[in-house]
Amino acid sequence: MKYAGLIYVIGIIIASVLISFFVASPFLTLSLTLATIYMGLALAWDFSSGLTGYMNFGVQFFFGIGAFFTGYLYYAYRLPITFTLFADFALGFLAGILFAIPTLRLRGPFFTLLSLLLPYIAASFILSFWTILGLPTIGYYHIASLASSPFRQLVYLSFFDAVIVTLLYLLYRSHFGLVLRGIRDDEETISNLGINTFKFKALAFSIATGIMAFVGGAYASVNTFAGVDSFGLTFLLFPMLIAVVGGTKRILGSVPSSYLTIIISQYLNLVIGSATLIVFSIIAIVLVIITQQGFLQAILRSRVRAR
Amino acid sequence: MLNKVDIDMRVDALGLVGPNGAGKSTLLNIVAGIVKPDEGEIFFSGEKVTGLHTWNLVKMGLVKTNQIPHPFRTLTVKENVEVLSQRRKGKNKGTVEILQITGLEEFENFYPSALPFGYLKRLELARALACNPNTILLDEPLGGLSPHEAVSMVETLKKLKESGIKLVVVEHRLSELFTLVEEVVALDRGVKIFQGKPEKFSSDPAVASAYMG
Repeated sequence: MKYAGLIYVIGIIIASVLISFFVASPFLTLSLTLATIYMGLALAWDFSSGLTGYMNFGVQFFFGIGAFFTGYLYYAYRLPITFTLFADFALGFLAGILFAIPTLRLRGPFFTLLSLLLPYIAASFILSFWTILGLPTIGYYHIASLASSPFRQLVYLSFFDAVIVTLLYLLYRSHFGLVLRGIRDDEETISNLGINTFKFKALAFSIATGIMAFVGGAYASVNTFAGVDSFGLTFLLFPMLIAVVGGTKRILGSVPSSYLTIIISQYLNLVIGSATLIVFSIIAIVLVIITQQGFLQAILRSRVRAR
Repeated sequence: MLNKVDIDMRVDALGLVGPNGAGKSTLLNIVAGIVKPDEGEIFFSGEKVTGLHTWNLVKMGLVKTNQIPHPFRTLTVKENVEVLSQRRKGKNKGTVEILQITGLEEFENFYPSALPFGYLKRLELARALACNPNTILLDEPLGGLSPHEAVSMVETLKKLKESGIKLVVVEHRLSELFTLVEEVVALDRGVKIFQGKPEKFSSDPAVASAYMG
């Protein structure tokens, strides 16, 4: 069946909500909620960077501006959170276009290097000018929560992720996704055969950054706080790790991978604290060396071979 | 390096020949917009197209194939064609039809790494057809093919010519080429030394000098 994989991952998302409901553990619900946040980022990152080969190391910049924009819209205008999330997507999309126009034309690693600078510039800007910007402090506090209970938040975020994975997977399976894969394979040849590669790269990048900002806004609402920690490296490393473990360039692998990675990291955090990220980074490097298509893809393929 | 090469194509199929290093592929790359000329103008369908990017030229109907096949290795044969599907006004050939024309229909779900070299050449042609061209610039389409494969490829090109697609063909295999084209241009060290009918090619003194020394 053509969309069997998509149906499976949506089933996994629904299952996670049901598990949270029946287990009724606040720690598990929190872990699953975090997993949905990172899932959205991983899906977006894999769609743009995984498919095109243009590595975006500025995930946390777009995530952070989404968080801050939600904080600003709520603080200044008391707008409902569902509205601010869509405003975050629009902001992230526009910011992506503005960044893409000068940088996607650059050859070599310059796009990646410039994307790496973005979150540091943003965080430094806010820390230096928060009084001039009119922030109440170096961030926004008491942002309205997305839902009245942690479980409801999980339901909403899971729904958003189901929509995101469906849209991105449909794009991946479309002619648009095929062109992105062709760009990754041989950009010069596909350009010489009449494809305006810049247009496709810019659009893919902007859709991804829009989603990243959307997720950032959701995170701010879950935390009821938007601060410079939203520009932290964790929001780059974990999504990339999730995409690598799930298998890049395939979109769907990030869904089970996010639950696996974040739940394990949350429980590990209780035991080894901040060394968790180091441990996971080592695991990711080893997995990439052993199974280049991703750990979960390797498991699926070995089961197909066994049959 | 090309030196004041002036060619006016008024036939359905034009052959471009010459010794190695004559500038044949360079000329095709300039016409296709891949390389910008230092001076001179290029006209296509009556419009000046000098300096236009390849994707603008492809939209106008001008496509070039590669001398050495560059398939998209992570895409199947069918996907290699589908990825280039252009929607222009008028009739577009579907992927299935293109694969049938180029003899690739039984390989549609194969990856290029599994194809013999002759079929990679056909895949180059198929990808050019996916762009819905009215003119194809073919860079050594018979290079590396067996005699049987070359004859089959020439038959395919003849059918494309009959369907209304104009061809500019760079080739070293003159006997096969002359059965396809109506006119031949010869280059030697960047200079045009002959333009005329294939049957007059071998008897031209400048051609004899270029090939024989």
